[in-house]
Amino acid sequence: MAVFEPEAEGIVLDAEETGGDIVGRSPWALAGRRLLRNRISLAALTLFLLIVVVSFGAPIYAHDIAHTDPFASNVTGTIKLNGKTVDVIQQGTGKLGLGETPIGPTWSSQYFLGADNQGRDVAARVLYGGRSSLIIGLSSAALACLLALLFALVAGFFGGFTDTIISRLMDLVWAFPVYLLAISLATVLLTSAHGLNLGLFTLSASSLWIPLLIIGLIYVPYVYRPIRGQVLSLREKEFVEAAIAQGAGSFRLIFREILPNVLSTVIVLLPLMIATTILTESALSYLSIGVQAPQASWGTIIQDGQALLYTRPWVAIGPGIMILLTVLALNVFGDGLRDALDPRSKVRSR
Amino acid sequence: MLTFAIRRLLGLVAVLLVLSILVFLIFFATPGIDPARRMAGRNPSPETIAQIKHEFGLDRSLPVQYVLMMKKLFVTRDLISYGSQTKVIPEITSAAPVTFSLVIGAAVIWVVFSILVGLAAAVLRGTVLDPILMILALIGISVPVFWLGEVVNLFTQSRWHGFFLFSWVPPLGYTPLTQDPLKWFEGLVFPWLTLSVLYVGFYARVLRANLIETENEDYIRTARAKGISERRVLLRHNLRTSMITFVSLFGLDLGVLIGGGALLTEVVFGLPGVGLLTYNSLTGLDLPVIMTTVIYGAFFITIASALVDLLYAWLDPRVRPA
Amino acid sequence: MRPRSLFQLLALFGVAALVLSACGGSSKKKSSAAGGSGGTLTTLAQAAAPGSPDPQINYTLQEWQMLIMTHDGLTAFKKAGGLAGTQVVPDLATTIPNPTEGGKTYVFTLRKGIKFSDGTTLKASDVTRTFERNFAVHGPTAGTFYKTIVGAAACLKTPATCDLSKNGVIADDANNTVTFHLTSGDPEFLQKLAVPFASILPPSTPMKAVQIPPPGTGPYKFVEYNLHKGIKLVRNPFFKVWSKDAQPAGKPDVIIQKFGLGPEAEVTQVENGQADWMFDPVPADRLNELSNKFPDQVHINPLTADYYMAFNVRVPPFNNLDARRAVNYATDRNALVKIYGGPKLAVPSCQILPPNFPGYKPYCPYTKNPGSGKWTAPDLAKAKQLIAASGTKGASVKVNTDTTDTNKAFGLYFVGLLNSLGYKASLQALSPDLQYAYCQNSKNKVQFCWSAWSQDYPAASDFINILFGCSSFVPNSDASPNLSEYCNKSVQAQIDQALKQAITDPTGANVKWAAIDKEITDQAGWVEMFNPKQLDFTGKRVKGYQFSPQWYFLLDLASVK
Repeated sequence: MAVFEPEAEGIVLDAEETGGDIVGRSPWALAGRRLLRNRISLAALTLFLLIVVVSFGAPIYAHDIAHTDPFASNVTGTIKLNGKTVDVIQQGTGKLGLGETPIGPTWSSQYFLGADNQGRDVAARVLYGGRSSLIIGLSSAALACLLALLFALVAGFFGGFTDTIISRLMDLVWAFPVYLLAISLATVLLTSAHGLNLGLFTLSASSLWIPLLIIGLIYVPYVYRPIRGQVLSLREKEFVEAAIAQGAGSFRLIFREILPNVLSTVIVLLPLMIATTILTESALSYLSIGVQAPQASWGTIIQDGQALLYTRPWVAIGPGIMILLTVLALNVFGDGLRDALDPRSKVRSR
Repeated sequence: MLTFAIRRLLGLVAVLLVLSILVFLIFFATPGIDPARRMAGRNPSPETIAQIKHEFGLDRSLPVQYVLMMKKLFVTRDLISYGSQTKVIPEITSAAPVTFSLVIGAAVIWVVFSILVGLAAAVLRGTVLDPILMILALIGISVPVFWLGEVVNLFTQSRWHGFFLFSWVPPLGYTPLTQDPLKWFEGLVFPWLTLSVLYVGFYARVLRANLIETENEDYIRTARAKGISERRVLLRHNLRTSMITFVSLFGLDLGVLIGGGALLTEVVFGLPGVGLLTYNSLTGLDLPVIMTTVIYGAFFITIASALVDLLYAWLDPRVRPA
Repeated sequence: MRPRSLFQLLALFGVAALVLSACGGSSKKKSSAAGGSGGTLTTLAQAAAPGSPDPQINYTLQEWQMLIMTHDGLTAFKKAGGLAGTQVVPDLATTIPNPTEGGKTYVFTLRKGIKFSDGTTLKASDVTRTFERNFAVHGPTAGTFYKTIVGAAACLKTPATCDLSKNGVIADDANNTVTFHLTSGDPEFLQKLAVPFASILPPSTPMKAVQIPPPGTGPYKFVEYNLHKGIKLVRNPFFKVWSKDAQPAGKPDVIIQKFGLGPEAEVTQVENGQADWMFDPVPADRLNELSNKFPDQVHINPLTADYYMAFNVRVPPFNNLDARRAVNYATDRNALVKIYGGPKLAVPSCQILPPNFPGYKPYCPYTKNPGSGKWTAPDLAKAKQLIAASGTKGASVKVNTDTTDTNKAFGLYFVGLLNSLGYKASLQALSPDLQYAYCQNSKNKVQFCWSAWSQDYPAASDFINILFGCSSFVPNSDASPNLSEYCNKSVQAQIDQALKQAITDPTGANVKWAAIDKEITDQAGWVEMFNPKQLDFTGKRVKGYQFSPQWYFLLDLASVK
């Protein structure tokens, strides 16, 4: 993509605009313009940012709108509904009066989506859950991309034995059962008295760092593969040969010649990786081996909602819709980003 | 070709070996469980626990225990589970058909549908249907499969179960094919559909992108110039090349799924397959079963990866190792 | 009912009728109000009972409910519903003997002519072999229930060469008698002979754990035991009723338990009449539905069981009595009952022994306005007072439960409660396979741990001695049921006295047990939460449901015709 494109539209346009002077634009600027013209991608990006803002505003919602502590057990609590005071968790009806059911969605400021089995406000929890899910998703994707980039540059550039070692290591990581790692780590942390002591700081079992690191590490091979392929092919290109002829050392070659050309691939992969990590985190949390109580994430709330699925489905449906919208927005935006950065891959619909 | 196969086979053995050692070490690094205690039951006396420890070789050193376990797993094939105290291999052999049923059925569905959708989107490029199909595909890969399964259950088991459309849906669970083929089928329809949604979305997009990319290749232009009809160009020339990526990705995904990757679908629909067995053994920290399922899964993943590389090299001569 | 299930029901009746008419009169056909004999009782469970199926190893209610229909011991709990079901009656023995020599010797006379389902006739030496086998297969209670048998200590050390025939369990095949010699009197010995660990097995049973329960003397026998598909019991052709109280002829001809369905699916199957009973608890979200639509098929019975949170009395902050009492006063047991499923399914409690248990006297100090023996409401003011007095505010506490929904919910409730009292509480939820063993091991220094306890047999010591006795606290062991790590010399002396008195004077001993219960409750080793009730959901055609406090739903007394 960074290879100079004489036919790139930008230059023609500028000539028209500036009445004759040809002003060059960097490929990044060109990409930016293409992206800005893609309305759907922009809408997706806006949706994603909106979700981020709303999720990080969870404390405000909980405190000022819903007036609730979404992490405190409220089994015997009551709220005022249509002027009447009702139990948040109500005893069953019928001849035997069995069962206790939390209230359903009120569609008002308090208990908008209803209560869960602990009497907590589900809507407030969904927002807080969004915070955890997004933090983990964004950070682990960034971590995976960063590590993959480093490994791919080293392996692709130096080739030979280094390449073999790193690639086989990546194979091993890819074949490794992520659930085993997650469960084992979770159990170690839960059962150790003061959390995992890593010298500088300690991680408690409910720390978000655990799922973050696990997910970040297991996706390194996934990003590593395409980048390494690209580094391999870039290594043979003329401009690298030219730089070597100029006497450039390995370090400069990697970071000043190859890296900028690989960067666009990483940028395209980033939103797609965020989408993937969010889905993975929700799956791990659903299985109770991701985010641990007292923290909440979209996945853990779906887990909570499973026991209530047939009576109070909104507890499970709410967070699921949030995941769907977030991941969809990221995928649509990712598509648009890819089209903007590599116009040859874009299908022109004319 | 032969050296390639041998090299990959050795690689497979190496991966399995390293993996099994890692699993072993992780298990023993995880505190809080004494397998002898678990096997002893509810309120055993300390002597009972000591006896069981000795009988199962749990008082030996780690390397010895590792070798003993591998021997019991591969040679004598009588490895015993810590949890149920019965043989592990029959547990896997009864879980495997469930996973096969789920995965093969879903694979058939998603291959057919993704080819249809991918072809349609490529052909209908330029009309409004192309973006619509692609948005649907995107939704497919954006929805968490376990949540989709829960929603499907909500409607087919509870909310709309009374309507004729869903009243035939049996309660969650698995009926073996040999026991009742109709029930087997009915119980798998929705798991199949749920599992394939994700893959239809993904593969449709992959196929469409490949089809469009190869559109611009010279040999396609040549074929058109020769006067071959559009349909033949699409199906006989374009599709065949585009299927290369499709097939290789499919092989990898199939390997992962058969090895237990359909865990979430199995959990949500109550199917006692390999994925569920793996998960239960992990949460129960049942090392013999964990070891067996991890090796089983890694075996399929690695074999699939090797087969795909082989297939890719055969299909696309440009990629063959020099 | 949908047409498909009606068809299935009719088909089942049709088949059963055919079978009965073909069989002739091998089983009595009584068409009383309780229903007639025959048919297949179809039960459901999510999975097989965990652990080995061997009757001398398995310690689960799920398995025991089946084993009491296939096997017999020298004694048995009366097969009857209600309190009558806690009575010990002679089974393979002709009468219950009075122990001699200070309670150390029991002589049983075996009934004649009883056959195992493999055709062999029961003889006295089978009893000796059965008890030796208990040690050989490392039975979990070999060292706890049966350690008083002479020779048991040696058998625990070297189980492979266990020999009780000379001194411990002396069999006289000619006169059909078995003599037990104990090292000390055991007031619960007769009950310990009535549990499946002591079911007499035929000599063909191997001396190692089996994969399917071996032949027994009961009215049924196991013909199938598949961990994934299910189990099947059919009639034992050699069975004849020798005591209706101990082992009546069962009503169904076949009893099966199918595995693989989750509890939600199981409820649906029972509702549709495709199954007659489900072993697993009904999921909370279906309770309302059952209450409204199938109230006559729901049976609720109180259980002699406790749900509790154990304090670790040796580790801060709960090594402080005031802190423990404070939490007890602050606990809103109504909220816990609500989490469990509502007041119909659980009754708040403050003390160790459950109602209707020998030695039970209602006692609850941890409530507003104590004195009635019943818990009414938490007393937060008192709690806060005690916390201040204890000086333990600000301490960090890990609340340990397992990962099942309900128990995790209890944990979250207590995390909130402890935080509101000024502690820094967090939740530590472990897999159910691990949690109980983890809490027992003192090296894990668990501070506050959820657990539940139900009786092995109706005796106060089964609660008090096992859960608070000094010998039940085994440091650094995963097998230490005294979770509180409580050991009080004077209380232990009272326990020992009560145990001794129970051999000759059970009523007097029960008075002592009540006093011990009160004292331990005052020392607040636990937060006792409630006594749960058992909910059984039976299918439409099930008649004659009977609930025994010992074995719960007596499966073979129910009729499906």
